[in-house]
Amino acid sequence: MNNLPEDCIAKILSLTSPRDVCRSSAVSRCFRSAADSDHVWNHFLPSEFPEDFRAPEGLPTKKHLFFSLVHNPLLLHDSQLSFSLERSTGNKCYMMAARALNITWGHDQRYWQWISLPDARFKEVAALKMVWWLDITGKINISLLSDDTLYAAYLVFKWNLDPYGFRQPVEASLVLAGTEHDDVQPSMVSLMHNPGSEQGQRAELRSDDWYEVQLGQFFKRRGDMGEIEMSLKETKRPFEKKGLIVHGIEIRPVLP
Amino acid sequence: MSESDLDIMEPETMKSYIWLQTADGSVQQVEQEVAMFCPMICQEIIHKGAGSSKNHAISLPQRVNSAMFSLILDYCRFHQVPGRSNKERKVYDEKFMRMETKRLCELTSAADSLQLKPLVDLTSSALARIIEGKTPEEIRDIFHLPDDLTEEEKLEPLKNTMDDPRIRLLNRLYAKKRKELKERERLKNVEVEGHVDERSVDDLLSFINGTDPKVAKMSKGKKKYKKKKNQKIISSNDKESHDLHFKQQGVEETGSRMRDLLSLEDEIFTPKAGCEDGDIDDEIDPAMKEMLDREVEDFARRLNSNWAQSLGQERRPVHFSINGNNGTTRRHIGQSSGHN
Repeated sequence: MNNLPEDCIAKILSLTSPRDVCRSSAVSRCFRSAADSDHVWNHFLPSEFPEDFRAPEGLPTKKHLFFSLVHNPLLLHDSQLSFSLERSTGNKCYMMAARALNITWGHDQRYWQWISLPDARFKEVAALKMVWWLDITGKINISLLSDDTLYAAYLVFKWNLDPYGFRQPVEASLVLAGTEHDDVQPSMVSLMHNPGSEQGQRAELRSDDWYEVQLGQFFKRRGDMGEIEMSLKETKRPFEKKGLIVHGIEIRPVLP
Repeated sequence: MSESDLDIMEPETMKSYIWLQTADGSVQQVEQEVAMFCPMICQEIIHKGAGSSKNHAISLPQRVNSAMFSLILDYCRFHQVPGRSNKERKVYDEKFMRMETKRLCELTSAADSLQLKPLVDLTSSALARIIEGKTPEEIRDIFHLPDDLTEEEKLEPLKNTMDDPRIRLLNRLYAKKRKELKERERLKNVEVEGHVDERSVDDLLSFINGTDPKVAKMSKGKKKYKKKKNQKIISSNDKESHDLHFKQQGVEETGSRMRDLLSLEDEIFTPKAGCEDGDIDDEIDPAMKEMLDREVEDFARRLNSNWAQSLGQERRPVHFSINGNNGTTRRHIGQSSGHN
């Protein structure tokens, strides 16, 4: 291996994963030089970036750019969409702000309020005061995502002091473009822990101290086009719901 | 016409051979179509007209010794035949790749110098599969690489985590905590006139909300606020602790506590001049450091949860009963978020 030229080693490393490459930079001097090269990290960066993407300034190498995008999501689309990379593969991840979602009655101050929280990624999050018709929908263009990747969409939320009406599971759905609305079969997800009556997906606590619940999964193939529609609804039970704080909808690859 | 031209013009009658010389000196004849499969040899033949005779043998690059060359020739011989199916080729390739790692490396090197891209791709992915998932020591072992990085250099990859804003926040909280510790050390040695409020956030809050009528210094919890702020809270509490109109007090106190939280939050989030991330000197011994780690993490979580919950508080009028036995809703404050 000593006799291999650096660009050969770089080529071999670009066929592994970002984690393996980082490990390689601790092997030996010649490996490190290859492992830190732009050639390798360019390979892990997406081949296509979203339209209004601007690389942050002051990053000396592609490796720095990669990790900057992993750890510091960029705000795009008028600061309503955050863009980042998934660390082990370099696949693209997005989070849509609550303002970018379609929340029925969201414009009405009697039902929803828009507040700012310091631990939110976006300027505003939606705080539910009280509503009977809960309907939160988000749409994203599938072409923004990485090819040949299995993705899942999550509603990111938390509770205020007095949530009410969420003990029962609610409907979640994820549909691809071109699906007839009648064909949609929503799945039931639980936003709150209710031991005994839980079926389907449950809410999990995230590392940023928000909760998330999976709305659905889909596989993005090369050349796929159109919009994905993700939604969370509770419109069938005749009582009010209170106390949900919606951060947004996150779309990221499913890790094995 | 020269001999070589005749050779090229009459492939049916005479099989053309190219003369090649490997790095270790051996000269051999190779069928033309097989040899031409390698771009580098192709170029030599076309641009320089070499390889036509034993004396004019094409010199192969240094990285190609005879053993490797014969392997490469086998590969070329198989693949240059046009009639083979993709499946056949794949099966051949997989079998071909079965060799020990050292030979694989030599083969990659040789194929690369001959610019034989398909073979380079093949060997590269085989080597990539070997490297995947291994630790640096294992990789060094397998490929017999020298361990020529200094300890410092080996630790550098970890620095990538410094970009994480959460880690930067925690580092700043560390620095703050360490400053507080030093303050505490100093205070222990000096006589203090005004009493230092050592109450934890929980205790202060429950006091504000009227659940705990004690005014005197409470048990030594974790000291979270700086001395100045503590005195500010104490003085306002002292004034109104005997006031029966807790409701009004509750809202006001919430306001002042909010301001305190705000300024504390500000200090943490705005980058301080002179406070660099590299400032984390390891003066504190590991056990203490671990304890600090946990406290600081807890602290950061509490700050975030307290912030959200105090905002929630502002929206609803605070309810108190005069006998101080407050409703259970207030008990949630201070615990980590998510346990509602």
